[in-house]
Amino acid sequence: MKNWFGSSRIALLALCAVSTSVFPLAAQTSAYKPVRTADGKPDLNGIWEALSSANWDIQPHASSAGPVSSLAADFAVPPGIGIVEGNEIPYLPAALEQKKKNFANRFVDDPEIKCFLPGVPRAEYMPYPFQIVQSPKTVMFTYEYDSAVRVVNIGPPTPAPVDSWMGWSAGKWEGDTLVIDVTGQNGKTWFDRAGDFHSSSLHVVERFTPRSADTLMYEATIEDPKVFSRPWKISLPLYRHVEKNAQLLEFKCVEYAEELMYGHLRKHPKGSSEESK
Amino acid sequence: MSNRFPASFSAALAGSAIALALASGAMAQTKSSALLPAREGAKTWTPPKTADGVPDISGIFTNSVVTPLERPKDLGAKEFFTAEEADAYAKKQLAVKEATGPGTYNDVHYDMAQFGLEKKQNKVAASIRTSLIVGPEGRVPALLPEAQKRQAAKAALNRGHEFDGPENRGMAERCIIWGAEGPPMLPIGYNSNLQIVQGEGYVAIMQEMIHDVRIIPTDGRPHAPSNIRELLGDSRGHWEGNTLVVDTTNFTDRNPFRGSGENLHVVERFTRTDPDTVLYQFTVDDPTTWATAWSAEVPMTKIDGPIFEYACHEGNYGMPNNLSGARADEKKLAEKK
Amino acid sequence: MKKLLFALAGAGLLLASAPAWAHHSFAAEFDPQKPIKLTGTVTEMEWINPHSWIHMDVKGPDGKVTSWMVEGGSPNALLRRGFTKASLPEGSVIVIEGYQAKDGSNRANGRDITFADGKKLFLGSGGTGAPDEKPEK
Repeated sequence: MKNWFGSSRIALLALCAVSTSVFPLAAQTSAYKPVRTADGKPDLNGIWEALSSANWDIQPHASSAGPVSSLAADFAVPPGIGIVEGNEIPYLPAALEQKKKNFANRFVDDPEIKCFLPGVPRAEYMPYPFQIVQSPKTVMFTYEYDSAVRVVNIGPPTPAPVDSWMGWSAGKWEGDTLVIDVTGQNGKTWFDRAGDFHSSSLHVVERFTPRSADTLMYEATIEDPKVFSRPWKISLPLYRHVEKNAQLLEFKCVEYAEELMYGHLRKHPKGSSEESK
Repeated sequence: MSNRFPASFSAALAGSAIALALASGAMAQTKSSALLPAREGAKTWTPPKTADGVPDISGIFTNSVVTPLERPKDLGAKEFFTAEEADAYAKKQLAVKEATGPGTYNDVHYDMAQFGLEKKQNKVAASIRTSLIVGPEGRVPALLPEAQKRQAAKAALNRGHEFDGPENRGMAERCIIWGAEGPPMLPIGYNSNLQIVQGEGYVAIMQEMIHDVRIIPTDGRPHAPSNIRELLGDSRGHWEGNTLVVDTTNFTDRNPFRGSGENLHVVERFTRTDPDTVLYQFTVDDPTTWATAWSAEVPMTKIDGPIFEYACHEGNYGMPNNLSGARADEKKLAEKK
Repeated sequence: MKKLLFALAGAGLLLASAPAWAHHSFAAEFDPQKPIKLTGTVTEMEWINPHSWIHMDVKGPDGKVTSWMVEGGSPNALLRRGFTKASLPEGSVIVIEGYQAKDGSNRANGRDITFADGKKLFLGSGGTGAPDEKPEK
C-alpha cells in the first residue's frame, strides 16, 4: 500500500475526491460526452428520479418522528444531507417567521398532503419517477406524482399570461446543458414538507446536464425578492431508471385526499354514529 | 396486428377528409374544391418525419367536431352526407340553442359564450360523415345482458345516495379523470384539446382536461402485468407505415366507457393526412359488454394553442359547495317535517 | 392547400354525452329559487379551473360592504385568445345576474356578467367568436 501513495498521487487523489464532492459543477468540465438525439442535442429522454430526502426537507436535517404514531417507523422522517448549496436559505426576516409557522404546521399545511400539484423545482425531487419526452422544439416533463406535467417550449422566455401550479417554462441549450426558465408559478406550492415556501414572484432557472449515461446533474437557481434576500441554489443528481420496461404508473392521489378535505361535509361523517357505508 | 378496419374504410378515409364549414360572409374555399384535393391528397401526400425517422404526428390539436358519435336514427344506414348536406347539417347543429329561462336547470349556470367555451367559438371540424362511428349502423352496439346487469347494479348502488359524499359524485366532478379521456379519446364540449410530443421510442399525448399524459412506448415491449389496472389503461404502440397503432388494455371498472369496464380493449390509429390534420381512428371490443367490436374516427385539427394548465382538483370549490348545498337541502327538508 | 376551419354561427351542440356542465352539478350548488342581481367592485379574479371565480365587494343599501364570489367558466379559451390574468383589473365595476348558493353563503353563479355600462364581461354572448377575436379594451 505504501507504494501507491507517493506524495503526488496523494495530492491527485485528494483533488479528485474534493472536486467531486464539494464542486458538483465539476461534472460540466468532465470529459463525459452525452449520447445525442437525432437533432444533435444531449439525449435526456428517459425515466428519471431523485434519490434524496429533499422532498422532506431541502436543508440538512436529522431524522425525526413522523406525525402518525400508529405508523411509527413506517412514516418517520428520514435524515438528509440537504440539497441547498451553502445549506442556508436566505429568507427575509418576515418570511423566516412564515417559514417557522409553516414548519410548525407542516403536517396540515403542506400542499402535497392534499395531492396538489408540486410546482418547480419540487416536482424534480419528489420520491416518484418522472419521464422526459424530448423533441427539438418541445420537451415534455411528465411526473408520476399526481399526473403532473409541464411542457417546456424551446425558445426565449415570454411573460406568463396566467399563474399556474407547474409554471410557465421556456428552454434553451447551453452546450450540453438544458437551461429552463420558469416563471408564472402561483405561490401556493412549497419546496418541501418542511414549510419552505415562496411567492408568485418566484423565478427558477434550472440546469439539466448529463454527467454519465445514467445520471443527470440537476441545479436550480431560485429567486424571489418578496421572500429571499438574494438568489440561492440547489443541486442534486437525477438517476435513470435502468430496469427493463421501466414505466410510469398512475399515482392519482386526489381520491386519497377526499376524506381529509370533504369528510366533514358527508351526509354521514366517518367516525360519527351516523357513519354508513 | 391485423387491420381492424374494413376495406371500405380506406375509401371512407379519403372521402371523409375535413370539409370546409362555411361561416356566413367569410372567405373560404368552395365546398367542392375542399373535398377534391383531400381525396387526391390522401393517397399521394407523404407526411414529414421526425428527426429520428418516424412519421411526425406531433403538434397541438383540437378534436372538436360537429359530427355526433352516433348517427341520428332518422338517417338510418346513410354513412356520408354530400358536401351540401354536411354543410346544412353543421349549420343546423351549431344554431341549436339550449332552452333556458328563469329558474330552469340551464339557467343556473354561467354564460359559456362569455368565456369562449361554446363550440362555435372555437375551431370545429366539419366532416361529410353522419356519425363518428363508422359502418352501416353508425351506433354503439346494444349492451350484452351481463353488461346491462352490471350497469344497473352500479346505478342501483348510487341511487338515493348521489350526494352522500365525494365518492358518490362522478369522476370528473371529483377532478380525478375527465369523461372522454379514454382511450378512446372523444371530443368534449370545450377545451377539447391535446398535445402530441414525440421523443425517441415514445409518443406522449397530453389531454388538456385533466392534464393527463399517455406515454406510449413504441419499442415492442409487452403490456404491464394484468393486475396493474389503470384509469387510462396501459398503452403500447408501433408504427405501420405512416400510422401509429396503439393497443390499450389493463383498464379498471371505475370509469366505464359506454357500459364497458375492465375488459375493454382499444386499438387506435393516428395518421397525419395533411399538414393540419391527424386522422384518429379507433376500434373498441369487450366480449363482456358488446357482441361485436365497433369503430369510429375523429379528425384532429391543428390549433395554435398552447394547452393551458387545467389544475382541476386544486381549484375544485365545486365539490365542497355541492356537498354543502346537499346538506342544506336535507336540513330544509328535515325542518319542514 | 390551406385548410380553414371556421366557427359557425349559433350555439354548440355537445356530442353524444351529457351537457358540458354535467361534470359539475350547478343545480346542486345554486338555488334556482334564489335569483340575485349584484353590483360590485372586483377585488380579485381567480383565473383557475375547473371554474374561474370573481371576488367582488358589494355595497348594500345600508352602506355595509359584503364580499361575494361568483362562479364563471374555465378561463383557458380566453387565455388562448390573448386575455391574461390582468384582463379584469381590481376595482372594475361589474354587474352579476345569477342565483345564490343553496347553503346561503355569499356565492353565486355568473349567469350574466356585464360592466357598469352594460358591455358583456369578456366575449359577447352569441358573439361571432372568430378564433382570433381580440379582447375588447
